[in-house]
Order: sequence, then structure tokens, then C-alpha cells
Amino acid sequence: MQLITILVVSFLGAGIVYLTGKFSGRVRDISAVLVSLAVVILVGLAYNQKIYTNFYSLPFLNLSLSLRLNYLSWFFAIIVAGIGFLSILFSLEYIKDYQGVGFYYFMMLFVNAGMLGIVLSADFLSFYIFWEMMSWGTYLLISYKGGKAVAAGLKYIIMSVAGSLAMLFAIVSLYASYGTLKFSSLASLLQIASPGYILFLLLMFVVGFGVKNAIWTLHTWLPDAHAEAVSPFSAVLTGVLVRMGMYGFLLIMYSIVGLSLLHKLGYGLLNFNYILCWIGAITIVIPTFTALLQNDSKRLLAWHGIGQGGYMVLGIGVATSLGIAGGILHTLNYAVCGALLFFVVGAIEHRTGGVRDLNELGGLIKRMPVTFIAGLAGISGLIGVPLTNSFVSKWMIYKTLIMENYPFLAFAAFIGTWGTILSVYKFLHNIFLGQLPEKYKDVKEVPLTMQIPMILLSLAIILFGILPGIPLKVISGIEKSFGVEPLSTTMFGMPKEIGELNLINILAVLLVAGIVVYLIFSLSAKSRRVNQDDNYAAGLFVPRGKYQYSARFYDQAYRIIGPYLHDVVDDFYYWLVGKSKSSFQIVRQIYTGNINTYALYILLFLTLLIFVKLGWGL
Amino acid sequence: MIIKVISIIVLPLIALIIGFFFLGLSRKVIARIHRRYGPPISQPLIDVIKLINQESISHGKLFDMGVILSLAGSVILVLFIPFGGIAPLATSGDLLVIIYLMLLAPLGVALSGGEAANPNVSIGISRKMMLALGYEVPFLFSLLAVMTWYKTTSLVEVVKAQQSFLWAIFYLPLPAVAYFMILPAMLGIRPFDIVSAPQEIASGTAVEYGGRYLALTTIQHAFHIFIDIALFVNLFLGGGNLLTFFVKMLVVFLLGLFINAVFPRLRIDQAIKYCWKWPAILALVGLIIARII
Repeated sequence: MQLITILVVSFLGAGIVYLTGKFSGRVRDISAVLVSLAVVILVGLAYNQKIYTNFYSLPFLNLSLSLRLNYLSWFFAIIVAGIGFLSILFSLEYIKDYQGVGFYYFMMLFVNAGMLGIVLSADFLSFYIFWEMMSWGTYLLISYKGGKAVAAGLKYIIMSVAGSLAMLFAIVSLYASYGTLKFSSLASLLQIASPGYILFLLLMFVVGFGVKNAIWTLHTWLPDAHAEAVSPFSAVLTGVLVRMGMYGFLLIMYSIVGLSLLHKLGYGLLNFNYILCWIGAITIVIPTFTALLQNDSKRLLAWHGIGQGGYMVLGIGVATSLGIAGGILHTLNYAVCGALLFFVVGAIEHRTGGVRDLNELGGLIKRMPVTFIAGLAGISGLIGVPLTNSFVSKWMIYKTLIMENYPFLAFAAFIGTWGTILSVYKFLHNIFLGQLPEKYKDVKEVPLTMQIPMILLSLAIILFGILPGIPLKVISGIEKSFGVEPLSTTMFGMPKEIGELNLINILAVLLVAGIVVYLIFSLSAKSRRVNQDDNYAAGLFVPRGKYQYSARFYDQAYRIIGPYLHDVVDDFYYWLVGKSKSSFQIVRQIYTGNINTYALYILLFLTLLIFVKLGWGL
Repeated sequence: MIIKVISIIVLPLIALIIGFFFLGLSRKVIARIHRRYGPPISQPLIDVIKLINQESISHGKLFDMGVILSLAGSVILVLFIPFGGIAPLATSGDLLVIIYLMLLAPLGVALSGGEAANPNVSIGISRKMMLALGYEVPFLFSLLAVMTWYKTTSLVEVVKAQQSFLWAIFYLPLPAVAYFMILPAMLGIRPFDIVSAPQEIASGTAVEYGGRYLALTTIQHAFHIFIDIALFVNLFLGGGNLLTFFVKMLVVFLLGLFINAVFPRLRIDQAIKYCWKWPAILALVGLIIARII
């Protein structure tokens, strides 16, 4: 009942918000916030419960649609609800000058409801239905701004449909083989299936979920979609929507197929998990370094979204207790950082009239201090600076890769972090530091409803960075449900038998050292506060407000690595589209648009059926 | 417990003294190689004391905090790196934590410098980042070779394993050589003093620093020298007791100094290409060997 309440509130709430929008914009805004908050509370209350309900039965297929709640679905549901609520809150001021705000809120809540449906489903049919609701809702939201966004949305939906079809293929095959689509029944039925069939299933689902999670070669929709969508939705996209693919991976790999069966797939190094790890590693390295070349702040973050997804895939691919926990934890951590950074970009867009070009911004730290702190927290989290959240998850992934003797995978993960440092530092520097251009002299801090989501997420980064035990407790529960040996954790880090990591000690010494240094600093001769432009340039005068020193920030590095980072996959897809256009012309001749032709097709098909029937009868 | 607290207090002081000694020594040695007399070895210390008492300028809160973060980050790093068997916080963080803590110092300086609108600072930061990307490739290969060889991520375990038998440099000569080759890049000394480059970009990130800011960055630099060399001694030269550890550090530092005092400065693109070529190849081959055997 509880689960049905959650879904009813979220779906019905979306409709109500749309209807109230017809009467009053204010009521609509308030009700949107309330609905998303109610969903957070409802999901939060369901913590630590195990529920299973059938909510609808389809007698003709002998299937019933059912919902269930366990640690895995709760973990993802709370991320969906939380980020959803914050982005609705952020939208209040951001979106108000756009056209069709009521539709926007409706779609935001609808997509959120769809995602909740996905993680709460207990069978593949409901899963697929909710999956499609989310996918199509996303398409409409990506295209919301019109113009370039429509092209981005189209690119997304084509790839998404291709992925969904692969998934549908696997689902139909499951139904044909076993007559049921319930996760729990399939999990036991599949244990005696042949490895070849399991591999086929996994490949189909990997394509389906891989498009969503944007693993390398299936990632090309993501940069356009993230860049062109409105920023609050970009936050939802990068933080939770894309991670539905992660949920899918976890579901099919560990919840249904299971670890013991996964180990049987392949010979030696050529096995499913190892190849998945390498796909994860490539997904880290290439997109992260591509991000380095970007000058559009949202595109830069979008490429990082792909890269960080690589860490998650790598983590769960290693299939150790530590690795799976690291991969799942990184999903949460990235959701927090990624959403935060898109909020920051949104705030900048809101105040500068939609500027996203990093070469045009600069020096906003004094104008927008809260946004700057949020940005700093966000990039620290993304890098994984010690005492921020991603540090713990990345540590877990590195540690397990090294202990399992995969140094090259570990290297890919490490060097990806260095690519991240370079590009996100450029992001922070070019927006907030350096010279303030003349035209932004009067920029003000964003309003409170935009600040609150950023502050909350910044706090979450620090909180999970020092107390990783909070999310890891849930993750241990998830691992237990997978039948993997659950990770034993402490509140502040890792127990001794896993490795040396104690964050509270690191925090304590950093604080003490910081205080000591601060004392030395404040006891020294005082300094005079001067204007930002009061600069020494080897005795020469620095012209003010004329140059942008940080344009093409890493020019020398671009020249070296740039030529290698062309997105060949995207080119290949466009080449494929170009080549297949002529064959689609042939298909178009079948679909003439003339009702007579279609009637003829139906007639011909019926004739065929009759012939077949007669043939069998003979 | 008491021993731990004492070592937490004493270790940074030892590191500071050694770091300052190395700073002074390097100026003296380079001066002699350049056929000058050179300043006294205590010159850096004298400079810092002078600077602390000098008035300076500040561009804002972040300008102050960045410098403080940078120094604090270096101080705590010392506590994670075993020095002659003393490593008070080794159970709180392993080599992976050390790699990440090494980030705090450059991050602090970059943030601090960024608040000024000085073109030289921006150029300095971008050079620092690119140089770091260059030397991190061989650096990470070397560290991974050691971690793979000893099947641990704990630096204390690595040192212990070497003390019971041969030093790692005999098993993993290639990663050791690679680390040694990029050591000047990590320390920012010639031929890799691209980030400061006083004659080109007026000391780069440090151009706006005077008085206490310059004092703190000099102290940070002293710690930085200690950390990078101590890490090398721990990883490849088997650690040692207090005295032998210091002697090993001195040998490594002087060797590096002799080689690098005679080279002119590289351009940043040359530096990246250099790092990604010979040191990276050597370290990679070393890692492959460590992985296979």
C-alpha cells in the first residue's frame, strides 16, 4: 500500500500541479514544491522496510504488475526524490521567465514519478512501462527550450529507443522462456539457464542500460542533451536519470543473474566482468579528457557525467564486495556533486543572461559568494579531495583494483581523476576567479530559493565525505541482498582489515594544522586589503578589463592531446545515418501515407495468414 | 598514545628543518656550480623571519585561506609518510590517501592566486596544472608498480617489506628511475621551473605574494621538498632509521640537484612531452614487469 501511495502521490501530484497552473502561477509553484517534498518524506519513511505488492494483474498474459521495496530500490528512490525536490526548488526562480512553465513542472514531476516507478518495480513489465514513461518524458524536457534543444532531444530519443528495443527483446525472450517476468522468480529460474543464454540477456540489457548510463560508444547523446536542457533538469539528468542505467546494471547483474553465475561467463581474462571493467575504464579516460577541451560550462560537466559513470561501472564490474560498494556509493556521490554543479551553472546563467561560455566569464567570486562556495564544494567533490564524498568511493574503487591485481584499470581511474582536476579547476577559475569583466560589475547573488539547494548539497558533500558510514550502511544491506559478502564499515572510514582510511583523524589533523598555520598567519605583520586589479606585473602596467587571461586555459595541453580526442563514435553514428538515408527512402515508399495502400497491406497479410493456415491444415 | 601525540608534534618540525636545510643547500650548491659564492645555508630561514615581519597586500578572504590551506595540507601530509620508522597517522591513511592529500597544496595556491586578477598568476596556475598532468602519468605508474609488487597500498607495509629483504629499487629499477627523472618536475626546480619562471612570468602563482604570504609559501615549499623526497626514499630505498633516512634523502636530493643545475628551463609543452615519453615508458614497462612476475 505504501508503495502505491508513493507512486499515486507522485503521478497524481504531477497532474494536479499542471491543473492548478491553469488558475494561478503561485499556487502551481507552491504545489510543485509540496508534491516533491511529500514524495521525499514518503520515501524517507519507507526506510528499512521490505514490501512486496501486486497492484494490477493482466489475466490474458497471466502476468501481474507488482512493486517491491528493498535496500537497493530505497537507495535509488531516495536519491531520485531528493534531487527531484531540490531541482524543483531551484526551478522556482530559474524557470519563471520561460514559456509553458506549467508543462515544465508537470514533466519534471512526471519524469520523477517514472523513475520512482522504475526503482520500485518488481517485474520487468512494470519496469519497462515506467522506463518508457521516463524516456519519453525526458525527450520532451530536453527539447523544452526549442531550437538546438530539439535536435539534442531527437538524438537522445533515437538512441534511447534503440536501447529500449534491445531491452524489450530480452524481456520478451524471458517471458517466452519462463512465462514470468517477476524479478524474484527469474532470479531462481535463471540459475539453471545456459551461460550462452545468460550472456545474450546481459548483452541486451547492457545495451539498454548502457545507453542511459552513457557507457563509451553509447554515450554520444549525453553531451548535447545535458548542454541544451534547462539547468535544473540537467541536474536531474546527470544525477539520477542517467543513473537509472546504473540501477539497471545492478538489478540485472547482481540482483537477478547473481555473482556466481557471472563468474562462469567467459574464459580467463575474456569474461563478462573484465570486459565491462575495461569499458568502464575507457568511459573514464576518453570523456574526462574530452571535458578538458570544452569551453561550454554545461558541456564540460556533461562529459564529466559520462566519465564519472565510468567509475561506477568499473566499481561494479570488479565484482568484489569493496568494488560493488564503491560503485554504488559513487552513484550517490556523483548525484550530489553533479546536480550541485549544474545548479551552479544554472545560477550563473540566471544572473548573466544565459552565458555558458567559460571564456566570457570570470571574477564572479565577490559578486556571488554563495554560488562560489557551492562551486568549490562541487568541484572538490567531483575530484575527490579528501574529506569530500567522492574521495571515499574513489578510494574504495582504487583499493579494490590494486588488491585484485588490476593496476592498468587502476591507472585509468587515477589518470581520469587528473583529467577531472584540470578541467573542473578551469571551470571554477574561469567563472569565479581571475578578472571580473566590466559587464558583470553589477551581477548579484541568486535568490534564496536557488541558494538553498546549493547549500544543502554542499553540506551533503562534506557530510558524506566525513561520515561515509551513513550511506555505506544502506549499501551493506544492498550487498547482502545480492548475496555478496557485505562490506563491514565504520562510521568514519574503513575497518583495519580492509584498509587504512580514517576520515575523522584526517579531519582532526587538518583542523589542528589549519589552526596552527592560521595563528602564525594572524600573528605575522598585517596585510593591507587592496582592490582585485591592484596587481604587480614585473613592473609593467596591467590594462584593466580588456583581456581574458584564462581563455584557452590549457592551450599547450590542448595542442598535444586535442588531436587524439576527436569523438570518433559520434562521427561513426552520423556517417551511419548519412549512409542509411537512402535505404530509409525505400522504407518510406512502403509507408505511402495513403489509406488504400494500408488497406491493401492488411488484406495481403490476412490472405497470407489464410494460406498458412490452409497449408498447415493440409 | 603519548608517543603518538609527541611524534605528531615533532615530525613536522623535523620535516621543516630538513626542508629548510635542503632549500639553503640547493642555493649554495647551485651557486657553486655556477661559479658564484652563494648565500649562507640559513638564508631561506632568515628570509622567512624577515618576511613574517613585513607588511603585505591581500586581495580578499580566499587569498588568505588558500595559502593557509596549502601549508596545512603539506603539514598533515608529513604525518602520513613514514620518516625513519615514525609514521603517527599511517593507520588513518595509506598511499592512496597520500596521493590525494598531495592535491591540497597546489589547490590552495591556485585558489588563493585566482582571487587576484593578475595575468601572471593565471598563466602560472595553468602551467602548474599542465605540468602536474605531465608528471602524474609516470608518477602514478611508478606508485602502482610498487603497490602491485608488494600487494599492498600501505606505505608502512612497503617499507617493512623492504627492510626485511632487498630495497625496492633492486626489484623495480625502472619505476625508480622514472620517479627520479620527474622529481625536479614535482619539486618545480630547473629544468622544470616553468610554473614560477621568474624571468618570464614574474614568479607565476607567487607574484602577488609578499610578507607573510611569501613566508608561508616558502615554508610550504620546504615541506614539499621533504615530502617528495621522503616518499621516494620510502618507496624505493627501503626507509631506514632516523639517520640513514636523512642520509638517503640527502643523496637523492644532491644527485637531482647536480643533474638539474646545468639545464636550461624547458617550455611547458616540451615538459609535458618529456614526462609522457621516457619516464612514462620506463615506469610503464616497470609496471608491466611488476604485474607479470
